[in-house]
Amino acid sequence: MRIVAICAAASIAALVAGCGKQEPQTTGTPPLVRQMTEVQYRAVIADLFGPDVKIAGNFYPTPREDGLMAVGASHATITPSAFERYDKLARLIAAQVVDASNRDMLVPCKPAAVKSADDACATVFFSKVGRLLYRRPLNQDEVARQVKLATEVTKTTGSFYDGLAAGLSGMLVAPDFLLIGDLVETDPNDAARKRLTGYSIASRLSFFLWNASPDDALLTAAEKGELYSERGLAKQVDRMLRSSRVEAGVRALFADMFGFDGLARLQKDPLIYPAFGLSAADDSGEQTLRTIVDQLVVNEGDYRDLFTTRKTFLSQPLGLVYRVPVETTSGWEPYEFPVGDQHVGIQSHLSLLALYSHPGRSSATLRGKAVRELLLCQKVPDPPANVDFTLVSDSSNPVHKTARARLSAHSTDPSCSGCHKLMDPIGLSLENFDGAGQYRATENGEKLDTSGELDGVPFKNPQELGTAIHQNAALNSCLVNRVYAFAGGHTPQPGDRPLLDYIEKKFVADGYRLKPLLRTIATSEGFYAVGGTATGTAEASVKP
Amino acid sequence: MHILRAVTTAGAAICALAAFLPGIANAGPAPKRTVGLVVTSWFTAQYNTPHWEECPEGAAIGNDELWLRSLPQDARIKKTDGGKVQPVDGARKQQAVVRGPNGEDVCMNPTVVNDPPLRIIKGKFGYGFNLDGTNDGAPTSKSCKHDKFEDPDTGLKVDNQTYRTLGCILGWRNGNYMEGHPNGERQDSGRGTILIEVTDVDDLENDPDVTVAFYGALDPMPKDSTGKILPFASYHVSGTPQYGAKAKGRIENGQLTTTPVDARLPLYGNNYTGDMFLKDMRLRVAMPKEGEGAPVKALLGGYYDFNKWWDYIQKIEFLLVAGQWNCPQIYQAAKQLADGYPDPKTGECTALSTALTMEALPAFIVHPKNERTVAEAPEPEKKTQLAQGQ
Repeated sequence: MRIVAICAAASIAALVAGCGKQEPQTTGTPPLVRQMTEVQYRAVIADLFGPDVKIAGNFYPTPREDGLMAVGASHATITPSAFERYDKLARLIAAQVVDASNRDMLVPCKPAAVKSADDACATVFFSKVGRLLYRRPLNQDEVARQVKLATEVTKTTGSFYDGLAAGLSGMLVAPDFLLIGDLVETDPNDAARKRLTGYSIASRLSFFLWNASPDDALLTAAEKGELYSERGLAKQVDRMLRSSRVEAGVRALFADMFGFDGLARLQKDPLIYPAFGLSAADDSGEQTLRTIVDQLVVNEGDYRDLFTTRKTFLSQPLGLVYRVPVETTSGWEPYEFPVGDQHVGIQSHLSLLALYSHPGRSSATLRGKAVRELLLCQKVPDPPANVDFTLVSDSSNPVHKTARARLSAHSTDPSCSGCHKLMDPIGLSLENFDGAGQYRATENGEKLDTSGELDGVPFKNPQELGTAIHQNAALNSCLVNRVYAFAGGHTPQPGDRPLLDYIEKKFVADGYRLKPLLRTIATSEGFYAVGGTATGTAEASVKP
Repeated sequence: MHILRAVTTAGAAICALAAFLPGIANAGPAPKRTVGLVVTSWFTAQYNTPHWEECPEGAAIGNDELWLRSLPQDARIKKTDGGKVQPVDGARKQQAVVRGPNGEDVCMNPTVVNDPPLRIIKGKFGYGFNLDGTNDGAPTSKSCKHDKFEDPDTGLKVDNQTYRTLGCILGWRNGNYMEGHPNGERQDSGRGTILIEVTDVDDLENDPDVTVAFYGALDPMPKDSTGKILPFASYHVSGTPQYGAKAKGRIENGQLTTTPVDARLPLYGNNYTGDMFLKDMRLRVAMPKEGEGAPVKALLGGYYDFNKWWDYIQKIEFLLVAGQWNCPQIYQAAKQLADGYPDPKTGECTALSTALTMEALPAFIVHPKNERTVAEAPEPEKKTQLAQGQ
């Protein structure tokens, strides 16, 4: 365990100051192997080879587990067909890297002759690229293996660069690249303990805060053993949090938390929702993520204010949906909904409203469930298999004209009413927004009643719902849980509870701000603790 | 009650906020509102009956038919495959329009041939405004003697000599080529789009004093997946200072009517880019309902400067066949039917009363910085820098 200073008092002030002594111990987490997600893959390739290198292809979706793909990635498998896709992508990327138009920039040396092998140049290339791809230095055997492959290919094709491309494409499908593994080693201060290697700490940090591979500075810090010290770790965390790249990490966190991968597959009936085109679907997630980044990263504001803010960003397609003016002809501009407008908070954004609705109608139940599960981390049981949804889905019912009326009739079934009480009061307040997020005061000509209550806090309309969410204590613990799970790639275990409680208290003391929360977790000793049992635990074998 | 207010966006010009912000709760006394409209389609206002009773002489004769008639029989047989009417190809179209005695283009030189008179509207009914203020079409200081139409809906006497001129031409009648094609061009290209902005609105149903401005737009019209124009889009006002004419207006029972104003409006259609020049222009439009994106109907009328109007007609000569019209006949008829703004010297009227039916959607109108209206536009420089230097 790292040595920490002794704090004079266990006060909130000390917590805020980040006194390590306040941090409770955890049982640690078994080492994990996570599959790199599509977003991470694209970010890594863009980092290494530049944004002009095209990554043309589809990825197999990462499964979602306990609300996060970041957790599902720990249990993902690469099927033969998924591997074929990776292989195809790798060949395309490698060909672009060594292409005549790019090689001067991306290959750090020139061969003596382009038609024959050059082991020295190949060694330089694979050593440099390999360190960034594998997130650790390659050992001599690994480099030699790539050089040998390149040489053999060069002999066959008569092109040095074909050889490099063959070696590079092989590295791009290697487990060392595609799988982000927690490598462990014996703690030199305690032979009975295991700890993450410096490079694994670097990877965990980088994918957590930037959603990308470690950069050279972080790898160098790992190489020097600086990440084992509290000061060295904090130095790197602070550097990373100061970087604009933290925006990518925050985007990835909330896109995962809110299930925005679903926006790419979202379909709405164009006859019912004519303003909801593909552009609006694409832009809806971006609107919410921009709002989040502005509030939490740029302004370092209170997380809870995300649910009461009128400030957001709009594009032309979104202006059509919200029916507000958008001045910019392309791109984005800040916008503030007027006082009195019911578009308050990100829960009133098109992204969440449309995602948690049906293709041709809104859904108070899905929206209520989303608030419970995504924002408050309260699991709502799945409906029984034999439920009859006929009445609920009949949005043109002449008798039950509003969703409230239909759900009221539906919920008379005792097997349904229990769960609907959890979801419907929340979702019905969002009925002021149709299935594609457009405001409406009535449904089928009948005025909407959007009142309800959330855990005992009553509200009259969507605006007041935002305030109720803002005040809900579960909002804070949920975010802490989600960020912690996202960062480590695993669902918090009972043994993590004391640490999570500590982090939450600190989050509250820090003014509900995200960046301090990220820092608390990233500098937390418990976050890196290795414990428990796991299959496939990897002892570090790399000795650079 | 919903409120509407101007919205300032960071680092940009004021958005004149059009239409109505949905979802706004009661927030005290409503400030004056601004209502924006984008004209999605327009066409010469016409009263067409199914059996053409308003055209007792029948449909107007097209240029192609007149050209064929002018040919000797042997040439006609040769050019028409034994006298059978054939689809008109590009080569023949060119031959048809250059039927002047010396091979002149008759659209560019409409007086070089002596065609029979155009078959014009002889019916009683028509749509438009009473531009000259008379019920009998007697000459006034601003108008020449002409026949009036009776609005079939209101019974009022109205003027629309453009309809009288073009109404019996097949291609210009409602629902035909000259209506659908240019509207499609405007909708697809975003060119020639007219914006109407109503400001100082206290009450959408009744307001005795509002201001109405007419602009050109810079943006294309966004459509849904079925091709319908979407309401509540944002349109940027063209910086052309000659646009932006403003009139006073009043709203009665949801109908807005403006006082006359001289205006220049963007005109694009049939591959023609120019402007409409309307004197004594006025507008009648149904105000959109609160928060609703349904299209509204409008009627816009005024005296169209003859020379500008004719410039448009003659420059779309390539549509003679599609539109089934004939330039010399239209020219002669329109000259005779011109009813507005008599030339002080000759007494000949220089403008044609016209009326356009319009369909419009609620829209947001975005003004550029340093916008100048027509009244504020400076006079053109009399001299160039080079000339001053000399």
